[in-house]
Amino acid sequence: MAIPLHLYLPIAGNSVNVVAVLGLGVAVGLLSGIFGVGGGFLMTPLLIMMGIPPTVAAASDSNQIVGASTSGTLAHFKMGNVDFKMGLLLLVGGVLGGTLGVQVIKILRAMGNADFLINITYVLMLGFVGGYMFLESLQALRKNKKPAKPQAESAEPAKPKKESAYARCIKAMPWQMDFPRSGIRLSVLMPLVLGVLVGVLAAIMGVGGGFIMVPVMVYLLRMPMHVVVGTSLFQILFTCINVTIMQSVENHTVDFVLALILLLGSSFGAQVGAKIGKRLHGDQLKILLATLVLVVMGKMLYGLLAQPSVLLAYMGGH
Amino acid sequence: MRGIKLCLITLFAILLSCPAALFAAEPAPAGLDFAVSPASVRIGATYDGTQLTVTGKAPAGSDVVVRFVGARSELHMKEKGKALGLLWMNLGSLTIENVPSVYLVAASRPLDEIGAAAAPYRLERVAQDVAIAPAEKDTPVNRQELIKLRREEGLYREVKAAVTLSPAEGASQDFRAVMPVPSKLAPGAYTVEVLALKDGKLAASGSSNVQVELVGVPAALADVAFNHSLIYGILATIVALLSGLAIGLVFQSKGAH
Repeated sequence: MAIPLHLYLPIAGNSVNVVAVLGLGVAVGLLSGIFGVGGGFLMTPLLIMMGIPPTVAAASDSNQIVGASTSGTLAHFKMGNVDFKMGLLLLVGGVLGGTLGVQVIKILRAMGNADFLINITYVLMLGFVGGYMFLESLQALRKNKKPAKPQAESAEPAKPKKESAYARCIKAMPWQMDFPRSGIRLSVLMPLVLGVLVGVLAAIMGVGGGFIMVPVMVYLLRMPMHVVVGTSLFQILFTCINVTIMQSVENHTVDFVLALILLLGSSFGAQVGAKIGKRLHGDQLKILLATLVLVVMGKMLYGLLAQPSVLLAYMGGH
Repeated sequence: MRGIKLCLITLFAILLSCPAALFAAEPAPAGLDFAVSPASVRIGATYDGTQLTVTGKAPAGSDVVVRFVGARSELHMKEKGKALGLLWMNLGSLTIENVPSVYLVAASRPLDEIGAAAAPYRLERVAQDVAIAPAEKDTPVNRQELIKLRREEGLYREVKAAVTLSPAEGASQDFRAVMPVPSKLAPGAYTVEVLALKDGKLAASGSSNVQVELVGVPAALADVAFNHSLIYGILATIVALLSGLAIGLVFQSKGAH
C-alpha cells in the first residue's frame, strides 16, 4: 500500500500534503534545537497559508512543540546544557505571569485598542532585543576573532566584565543561590520575577515566549548561551503541555493528526539542530538568533505597513 | 414592459432561493429529475476533495446551471483598517449572517453570456443575500471582501466549463456536470440544485441533498476531540512526549557509537 500524499485533518477540516507538513516540521525543529525557541512565529502563519484555520494552527503547533522540545531537551541534557533548577524557577514565575497576563489582556480588550497596543509593543520589543543582541555579539565576535573550541563552554561570559551597577545590584539581593550548571550565583527572586514578566508578555502577545525568554536569560540572568538554549527548551516543554490540554478542553482546536506529522519532522529537526548548535560558538549563536529576531520583526512590520489582500479576517486569528 | 418582466424574474428567483418546504404550494416551474454520483460524500483519512457528477435531462434548448451549496450560518469577523493612517490591523468586528459554507456554481455556457437569467445564481448574489451587523459595517466593500476571502479559500467558485449538454432528443436533452468539491469541507447536509433556463426564464428546476460525513479515523478522532476533550488533550500530550523521547533515544544510541 502506498503512503498517501494527502491526509484529511478532522479538526482543521481540510486536507494537507503530508510531505510539505513534514518538511515544515523539520525546518522548525532545526530552529528550536539550535536556538531554544518554539518556532510558533514561523509555523503558525505557514500552516494558515496551507489552509488551516488560525486557531487550529496555533493550538496544534503547541502540541507539536511538546514533541520537539522533549526531543531537544533530551539532546541538550545529554550535552549537560539544561539547568533544571533555573528552568523550574522560571517556569513557576512563567505560570504565574501567564495567569496574570490573561487578566491584563481582558482589561486591554475592554479598553478597545488592544490589538494596536500589542502589535506595536511586539515590533518595538523585537527590534530592541534583536538590535541589541546583534550589536553586542558583533562586538564580542570582533574582539575574539579566533573562535573558541567547538565544545559547549560555560565560560564565555565569565570573563569578568566591568562591574556594572546592574551586577552589584544582583549581588546585593537577598536569598542568593548557586546555579552550578550555569556557573552563576543569583538571588532566587531574579528568575522568579523575570519568569513572571516573560509570562505576562507571552500571554498578552499570544506567543510561547522563547524569543523573549532567551535574551532575558542571556543578558539579565547572564547564563551561558548553550545552557540558555537547553533550559529554554525544557521550560517551553511544560508551557506547551499546558496549552495543549487547555486548548483541547476549552476550544477543541488541537488537530492531533496535524500535530503528529509536524512533530515527527520537528523531533528529528531538533536533534540535528542541537548538534549544529554544539558546533557553534556562543557569540555566533547569539548573532544568528539576533538576525532571526530582526527578520521576524521585519516580517511583522511589513505585515503592518502593506495593505492586506483581503480586508476581512475570521475571528480568533492573530 | 421589459422592466416588469425582469422584476418578475427576480421575484421568482428570490422565491426559489427560499427554503423549498415553505413554498411547496407555490406554482413552480416544471420539476427536473437528476442523479448525483456519489450520492453522499464520505470523508476518510485520505480525503482530498472529490468530484460530484450530476446527470439528468433538461428541456431542449435550455441553459443548465448547477450549484452545490453548503449550510448557511453566521460568521464573526474582524475588519482590517488603517490605524494612525499608517498601520494595517484588525480594527472593528462584525457579524455576517446567512453565509453559505460552500458555494459552487457551473453552467453549460459562461454565466456572463446567459445574462440576467443567471444573475440570481452568481457569486455577486451571495454577497447581496448576506446580512451584516452592525449596520455601519454593512458596506459594499465588506460584502465584496467576504466573497474574495471565501474564493481564496477555495470555498466559493464559479466553475468554468463544468456542464456539458448532449444534442437535444425531442423535447429534452441530457446534461452532465462535474462539480469539484473542495478539500476544506465540514460534515453536514449540502444541496445540489439544477436550474434549466430558457428564453431568459426558469423553465425547470430540481434540488437534492448530499450528505457529507466523516468516516474511519477522522470520525473517531473528531468524536474523542469533541466528546472526551480532556482525554483527547492528555493523549495528544502523551503521544507527543513519547514520540519526542523515542526519536531522542534513537539519536542518542546512534550518536554514542
